Amino acid sequence: MPKTTSLELMQGTVAVLILKTLSWGALHGYDISRSIRQRSDGALGVEDAALYQALHRLERKGWIEAEWGLSENNRRAKFYRLTGEGRQALQTELTIWSRYVDAVSKVLETRPAAS
Amino acid sequence: MSHLPGRRLFRFPWRTAAQVAADVDTELDFHLELVARELMDEGWPAEAAGSEARRRFGDLEATRRICRDLDSRKETRMKWMDSFGELGQDLRFAGRQLAKSPGFTLVAILTLALGIGATTAIFSVVYGVLLRPLPYPQPERLVRAFAVGPAGQLHGAFSPPNLLDYRAASRALSGLSGYHGGTLNLSGDGSEAERLPTSWVSANFFSVLGTKPLAGRTFAPGEDRPGAPRVAILSEEIWRRRFGGDRQVVGRSLTLSGDPYQVIGVLRHGERFPFSTDVWVPLVFSPTELAQRGAVFLGALGRMAPGATLKGVQAEAGVVGHRLRDQFPADNKGYIDSLTVVPMLERVVGDTRKPLLVLLGAVSFVLLIACSNVANLLLVRAAAREGEIVIRAALGAGRARIVRQLLTESLVLALLGGAAGVGLAAWALKLLVSAGPQGIPRLSEIGLDGVALAFALGIALATGVLFGLAPALQTSRTDLAAAIREGSRGSKGRGGTRARSVLVVVETALAVVLLAGAGLLIRSFLELQHVDPGFKPEGVVTFNVELPTSQYSDEAKLRSVTAALLERMQRLPQVSAAGVTVYGMPFAGGVNMLTFTVAGWPPSEPGKAPVLRVAAVTPDYFKTLGIPLVKGRALNPRDRQGAPRVVLLNAAAVRKYFPNEDPLGKQIAFGLADAKGDIPGGEVVGVVADFKQDALDQEVEPQVFQAYDQVPQQSLSVVVRSSSPQSPGMLAAAIKQQVRELDPNLPLFGLQPMTEVVAGSTSQSRFYMVLLGGFAFVSLILAAIGIYGVIAYAVRQRSQEIGIRMALGASREKVVRMVVGQGLALAVAGAVAGLLGALVATRGLRSLLYEVSASDPAIYAGVAALLVLVAAVASWLPARRAATTDPQLVLRGEA
Repeated sequence: MPKTTSLELMQGTVAVLILKTLSWGALHGYDISRSIRQRSDGALGVEDAALYQALHRLERKGWIEAEWGLSENNRRAKFYRLTGEGRQALQTELTIWSRYVDAVSKVLETRPAAS
Repeated sequence: MSHLPGRRLFRFPWRTAAQVAADVDTELDFHLELVARELMDEGWPAEAAGSEARRRFGDLEATRRICRDLDSRKETRMKWMDSFGELGQDLRFAGRQLAKSPGFTLVAILTLALGIGATTAIFSVVYGVLLRPLPYPQPERLVRAFAVGPAGQLHGAFSPPNLLDYRAASRALSGLSGYHGGTLNLSGDGSEAERLPTSWVSANFFSVLGTKPLAGRTFAPGEDRPGAPRVAILSEEIWRRRFGGDRQVVGRSLTLSGDPYQVIGVLRHGERFPFSTDVWVPLVFSPTELAQRGAVFLGALGRMAPGATLKGVQAEAGVVGHRLRDQFPADNKGYIDSLTVVPMLERVVGDTRKPLLVLLGAVSFVLLIACSNVANLLLVRAAAREGEIVIRAALGAGRARIVRQLLTESLVLALLGGAAGVGLAAWALKLLVSAGPQGIPRLSEIGLDGVALAFALGIALATGVLFGLAPALQTSRTDLAAAIREGSRGSKGRGGTRARSVLVVVETALAVVLLAGAGLLIRSFLELQHVDPGFKPEGVVTFNVELPTSQYSDEAKLRSVTAALLERMQRLPQVSAAGVTVYGMPFAGGVNMLTFTVAGWPPSEPGKAPVLRVAAVTPDYFKTLGIPLVKGRALNPRDRQGAPRVVLLNAAAVRKYFPNEDPLGKQIAFGLADAKGDIPGGEVVGVVADFKQDALDQEVEPQVFQAYDQVPQQSLSVVVRSSSPQSPGMLAAAIKQQVRELDPNLPLFGLQPMTEVVAGSTSQSRFYMVLLGGFAFVSLILAAIGIYGVIAYAVRQRSQEIGIRMALGASREKVVRMVVGQGLALAVAGAVAGLLGALVATRGLRSLLYEVSASDPAIYAGVAALLVLVAAVASWLPARRAATTDPQLVLRGEA
């Protein structure tokens, strides 16, 4: 785990990251955390406490479901998986997110008019 | 990377709170361990890696708490959703199951509707009459005061001085009000003259009741003092009926029995205490009344003061009563030994409590029988469904789950039965209220209200569990191995049969109790029908006329109008005789009791003076009613004013007071001996035969008849005998016409054939008899169905055995005898248990019986015989079918 401080994440973003990560398959909490870090090339680090709280909140919402299984080192681990509802939520969140990013980028990248 | 768990097919059992917590811990520990291992890979020492992992995690304890909380809430919600899902599943399944066997469903629902409907209807009556609070604020604090006689008997009546003394002495009552009832004639307002039930009440009467008027005001203090202006209050009922609900009536003047009264207020609907009153006027005591401590005619109603208890009020009443007795021995001795108070509702309801509770008990028997019948049906059905249950159990359904499914079915049945029952109850109530006898207080106010509906729902649910639980438990106790071994044949046929037999014995016993009760009431009613009233009611029409004092102010006017009335009656075609009486009308309710003395008798002890009912009659009165003269002469027109006063006695009076001497020629005077007979009596010139005075089931009391012409009075009862009994309607119309021509302001009321008067006197007996008889009939039918069901099922179960018996040479008769014997055994067991129960239960009926003992052996024997006969028929039907089985088919396993 890198010691560099990661970018602070906005509330709600953790949820989208989890949903997106789970869209490739069932994972337990540690793997979700590692996967997010790897895919962002270490730029995004989700605090573990926030991650687990988000996982349980999403589970209660019915967007993900959990199942106990065996980890690669044969330990009992809780695997999370996207539900149909979660998949739809992910689509919605992604659309909103990319629109948001577009809009913010447009503002930020606009150069002042030639004067 | 990991072993992927498969999709869930089966639900895992629900987790407890501890399990939820442990799962969260496992998950978080697993994470921390992987992080620590990663750190160690990076070169951290083992001990430091663990704490570094926890540090990097963030707020571990908060996360733990939040996750546990989220998980357990989710768990709870899912549990609920699942239960609802299962309930829906159960309901749909129950619906399908019931629809699949419409015959069973219909019979079960009808049986339950009968039980629940009858119970709800009777409950409504009992609640409405006995339990529903009176329509006044804090009704439980209203009490009626009574004088307690030397023998402990309660007298309802106070004299004005005693009432006023009690009121003045009492601290535990916040108010004490006197009242008495009577009638006033309303006339002169353009509509037909009418006699209105009236109550004379103390000015504080309405503040004691705590009632607020619908319009206007109630009496103000002082309005019951002599000389106060005459004021009156109307009931809402008469206000709407006679005055069309016109608020302008308040303030208007009405002519009541010739005197003007100003209407000051209208009371609310249903508030007609006492005596279904239509008009209330102030009770004003004259100086004479205030001086007569012995003249008792007032009811007394009080309200307990704040903080006073019933016991306290009673204790105080006792003290006041003893004082009244000791202070005024001349008037109170022998009448008042003490005073007491009784809660008002208890008193309003009075004698009807017991019969109504008996009916409620009877109807709950019907409900129990209906329940056991449905339970029986369910047991038979359960046996048929055993295969289905076995399969469900084999597929993993737990016993609780199966019981729940079966219970859902019976609850659905019960609720459907309950819904049908409420409809039945609404109809029955309407019938009960319209056919109900007079004399049951508050009966007319009864309807199917919220309380009754809640009651119906409650008993529907209770019966659903009651008749559903035993069969469900029995059915679900499936021994899988045994069931599979025995194939489709019932593995628990024996146990089921035993349960059904017990049910049948129980319901038969209950039916016997009801039948015995009904039998006693019917017998008692028949006895009443055979009672000779002592007069011949056929062809006689009776009515009442009240002569207002304002118009007929002196005796001469009373004599002449009565004579004119009689003459008009006698002139009517087909009328053979007509007579008038005051207080001498059978079953009319009015009584005038006086003490008397006979010239030559020693003076009687105080409180032990002989009493007679006193009535006045015109000469033809007895002839009109067909009451024969036993001795001496009848009255005749020469016994008029100015002639020597004469009286007739009835035979009962002769038996009681002149057992060994000739009453003819004796001089009778009324009043106490020491007062030297202040009310004129007369010489006994004749004796008439006894006739019933108050009711068919009561002894004839000693009575004396004066000549009307010598003691003319206002309240006339007229009897008219028609020589040809056809068209009583025409006679009634002619009578009305004659009275109108005589004086259009005379109100005529109570016009009816004498036969109806007699029938009316037994209407309460008939009411209870018809209801209990109906319940008994229904229970008999249900018991018969129960026996039939059990025997028919047993026959089907034993068809193989029967076939073998027949193949081995048993005759048809023998088979029939065997099967019928089985049914009779059940019936006899039930009858014996029922007769024992009836011996106890019919004690409650004792007060309703006439000339029949509550343990009348003939009735008990008859009931038992009836039941055994019905049982024989009910089991003979399946027996006949059993005897016609073809042994060939049975042995080949095809029947």
